[in-house]
Amino acid sequence: MARRSRSSNSVLLLSGVALLVLTFGVGGLLLSTSGDAFRTTAPLEVQAYLENSNSLRGNTYKVEGDVLNQLGYSPSMGRLISVQIDASSDVVPMLIPASLSHVNIQRGQRFIFKIEVTENGILRALDLTKA
Amino acid sequence: MKKYLSIGFVSLALGGLAAHAQVADFPAQPPGGAAPAAPAAPAGGGQGSSFLGGDTPFFDPGSETIQWDGKTWNINNNRLFEARFEKFLSAPEESEEQDRAYNSILFQILEKLSPNRVDPKSLDEAFGLLPKAAEFRRDAGLCDTIGNQVYSAWMARRNLDRLKQADATLESDRARLERNQRIAAQGSSTSGAAPKDAAAAAEWAKTQQLQRDVTMQPYVTRLAEVNALLNTNKTKRELQELQTKIEFQALIVQLFVQRRFQHVLIATRFYRSVFGDGDSKLRVDGEAKSLFSGTTGMPPTVGTLDAMASEVIRDVSEGIEAFKYLLEKDELESATKRLAETFVVGEYLPQVRTIERDKKRQALAFVQASNKLISALEVKDYSLAEQLVRQLEETAKDFDNSKPLAAIETAKTVAAMHIAKAKNAAVSGDRAGLETELAAATAIWPRNPDLAEVSKMIFSQADVQNKALVDFDQLLSQRSFRQIFDDKERFIAATALDSERQQKLREVLTNMTEIEGAIIRANEIERRGDFAGAWESAERAFQKFPDDAKLNQIRASLTTKAADFVGAIRRAEELEQRGQPGSSLAWFLRAQQQYPNSDMAKAGIDRLTKQILPDAT
Repeated sequence: MARRSRSSNSVLLLSGVALLVLTFGVGGLLLSTSGDAFRTTAPLEVQAYLENSNSLRGNTYKVEGDVLNQLGYSPSMGRLISVQIDASSDVVPMLIPASLSHVNIQRGQRFIFKIEVTENGILRALDLTKA
Repeated sequence: MKKYLSIGFVSLALGGLAAHAQVADFPAQPPGGAAPAAPAAPAGGGQGSSFLGGDTPFFDPGSETIQWDGKTWNINNNRLFEARFEKFLSAPEESEEQDRAYNSILFQILEKLSPNRVDPKSLDEAFGLLPKAAEFRRDAGLCDTIGNQVYSAWMARRNLDRLKQADATLESDRARLERNQRIAAQGSSTSGAAPKDAAAAAEWAKTQQLQRDVTMQPYVTRLAEVNALLNTNKTKRELQELQTKIEFQALIVQLFVQRRFQHVLIATRFYRSVFGDGDSKLRVDGEAKSLFSGTTGMPPTVGTLDAMASEVIRDVSEGIEAFKYLLEKDELESATKRLAETFVVGEYLPQVRTIERDKKRQALAFVQASNKLISALEVKDYSLAEQLVRQLEETAKDFDNSKPLAAIETAKTVAAMHIAKAKNAAVSGDRAGLETELAAATAIWPRNPDLAEVSKMIFSQADVQNKALVDFDQLLSQRSFRQIFDDKERFIAATALDSERQQKLREVLTNMTEIEGAIIRANEIERRGDFAGAWESAERAFQKFPDDAKLNQIRASLTTKAADFVGAIRRAEELEQRGQPGSSLAWFLRAQQQYPNSDMAKAGIDRLTKQILPDAT
């Protein structure tokens, strides 16, 4: 009787651990994707972009980084800013079109950008959200 | 003295060969002036002598010129005289037995013809010695000529004697004819009595007269013929005598002209013996007459020539004595002058011919040095002239150096002034002035050692300058601006007179100054450890001056030390050129991250921003 008792306890313990793991896993996953609006978009391969932006033309990526500086502003075309990407110390320029002018972008702010590599290799923001 | 001069100059004129010019007479020639007249060049013929028809040279003692053949010759600086006098000075003295024998014969002839001793016998003896004297080469046959003239005169005298004998015969014949004529006239008048009838008497008288005329006619005719013959003979005799005298006088004058004064004495003494009528008047006209009469103030006679010849011989003896005395005193200039004067007059006299060769050699040395001095002054070789003056001062105590030294010092001073001006012109780059002053200095003193030195210096400078200019052009074409910069002092001096090259050099030096400034800045920044900044400074200069090796070297060194930054800039520029402004801008941003003060990165960012946002503000 005792042997039967110890066996049922182990099963219970394993089931509990599995449940706990499942619970934490799902919870973690849910937690990790709950702030990334562009989680389905591939991140930009910065190195490839630096080497040859032509090869990335027409593609859409997401970039997360800190705003370093505003390089230029055109009322009709928008703002050109420099963004330091988290994954590396690389800085990429990014054109924030006038259609996104409602978003305040300041130096030091962290954003997740959904970008498109334009014809001349400029990273143009399609959407952005604060990270 | 005046008499001596007259005699001397007359004989010189007649002789036509003067050596007086051998003694230096230095004109104080003005530097840079015209060269002395060429030796023996005719100075004009406007006052040509008509003496002896102009066939004989005439010496003018006032101007020391000889007029001959319509031209005037200055005996000074005459090469002919110079050569003759030097030949005499170089020749040995006449001391051989032949010379002594000849002189002895001439002396004997003169002794036998001496006015105090002459008689028919001594005259014949003297005449007999003439052929012997003529045998000597030195006599040149002149004694023979005198002998022939004496013989001709004697023959003429014999003809005159024959004419006199003929005249005597004619006189006798005339006397006889006159007597016969007179007798014939008397006989005709005594033939019968005249008729009484008047008409008959007239007819008778006419007949008588006719008979008388017929009888006397042969005597009258013959008498006229005899008278005519007598008159003819008289005229012939006078003419013949005159002709003989003139021929003899012409010979004497000729001997005088030839400066054969011993022969003049012999001829005049024979003349007096041959023509003992006391008529010694010299029958010459024109300038020849005034030449002789001007000397004595009297109408010229054979005696005048005799006296002149004797005077010349005496004066030559004194001249030779003076020469020897002055030579002993080392007064070579005066001695040589006295000898030259004596030689001009008494070239053929034994006193001159027997001067010892050693003594003549001393005079020759002085004459040669004097002539060299004259030549040196003529060709303006004042260094040699000064040397010769010093030499002459040492050898001749009485040498007058004032004129040659004045000419030398003046020329040197003026030449030095021109050379100084030439140097100034060279320093100031005045090429025209340099050439003018050098030409003037050369004209005054062609062999001036300073001139050669200055020319050498100028040419040397010109060589250095030319080489520097060639180097400059070559380095400029090779764009070796640093080499030009490193040797800038040489090129600045060389291009000082070349405005075009000067402008190019100025550009090079300005650029090099900029490069040097960039290098200094790069080094300074590098010392602070800012390799990217140092590279950027060097790179900016390199883009403007890519040919400078030193800058390139520093740039290469800094490229290694700031490799990441340089790589980012390079990559940015490359992508910009390839038309990828996004990637290019990313690289410029990376460079700026590495070196925030980078001007190149900032410029690239601004440039690309403007490209991406053309209307950016």
